[in-house]
Amino acid sequence: MTIEEIKELIRVVQETGIAELELQRGENRVRIRTNFGIGHEVVLHHPEAYNAAAGGVAPAAPVSTQPAPAPEDEKDVLVKSPIVGTYYDAPSPGAATFVKVGDQVEPGKVLCIIESMKLMNEIEAEIAGVLVAKLVENGRPVEYGEALFTIRPN
Amino acid sequence: MPLDISFVREQRPEGQIHYFSTLGSTMTAAAGLAASGAPHGTVVIADEQTAGVGRFGRQWHSEAGAGIYCSVIMRLKLPSNGLPVVTLLLGLATAEAIQRITNLSCDLRWPNDVLVNERKVAGILAQLNEDSIVAGIGINVNQTSLPENLRTPATSLRLAAGGRSFARESLLVALLDSLDEFTAMLAEQGPESILRTFTAASSYVTHRRIVFEGNQGPNRGVTLGLDDNGFLKVRDESGLVQTIYTGGVRPDVS
Repeated sequence: MTIEEIKELIRVVQETGIAELELQRGENRVRIRTNFGIGHEVVLHHPEAYNAAAGGVAPAAPVSTQPAPAPEDEKDVLVKSPIVGTYYDAPSPGAATFVKVGDQVEPGKVLCIIESMKLMNEIEAEIAGVLVAKLVENGRPVEYGEALFTIRPN
Repeated sequence: MPLDISFVREQRPEGQIHYFSTLGSTMTAAAGLAASGAPHGTVVIADEQTAGVGRFGRQWHSEAGAGIYCSVIMRLKLPSNGLPVVTLLLGLATAEAIQRITNLSCDLRWPNDVLVNERKVAGILAQLNEDSIVAGIGINVNQTSLPENLRTPATSLRLAAGGRSFARESLLVALLDSLDEFTAMLAEQGPESILRTFTAASSYVTHRRIVFEGNQGPNRGVTLGLDDNGFLKVRDESGLVQTIYTGGVRPDVS
């Protein structure tokens, strides 16, 4: 598998928005997992990868294609997902979203739901502040620790 | 007939059981109790729900006196990423209780729909709160008919057993006992024991052609088993392996 082919696979993952892709060709196996907003983790399983003389693909360090979203202001606080699951910004399809950018939020305010296998996890604000960014699109998978919102404390 | 709650309390003397003849939703009541510190194992049960809910606020048909509509508060010492396996545990416990009381053979459709003859007899939903899980379990027991226009065809235990009716009290006690047993299994033997048991009990975990909700709409594939978290792995039509975190899967009958 060439670097070009792996790049192409990363593009496919980005474009389709799937959470994880694993492909095996002969003895070569590549797995790409997306951490939306954080970057991509590429794990290569290649029997010759560790043998530079073979001219194979070099052992792949995690390839990061996107920088982690840095808070714009030092005081800004990121709200992170405590769980792997699917992000929902409203209590049911078609309902008003829990929060909008620009909203003042107070501790305990529900910001979104992360669903993991029918376990519904309401994510609440822990501090008072203005919601300055929503970082994930409705219906997208999120990783453990992935940033969901930016809150500017007040 | 209203539930004979005194029978249930005699059989489960150690548990806190809050019984209502009619209630909006047992989930809402249980969440309130959980927030005020109700202990692990606290049960809220209603003969009738006027606003029974499923996933995303979908309605759960809750005919008076015909089913079990209950919510159970669980306080488990688990890391947050270990919690989704509880969803599978709830399905296993419900199927086990149904089989014990009715002798009907149950299948589990990932993550936790309980099916008899491919029709849904129980639906389960769990809500994670700050320091507890509230598990909502609905079982169709003695209904003689069910709405036809449901997302998944439904049946009741009575219909599936050729008209024989079942004591809801016995089934509720079996359910609470079975929840205790699987919770103890998780605590003592770890999440792998739940994953293994679920894999053995469900026809959906491996080699099953399914339709699932992808990011770009419905997708088809063949199931490849559970990962360490209990998520379902599937090889889609283009040969890609995907991990399903959420949502229902359906049999691919095409």
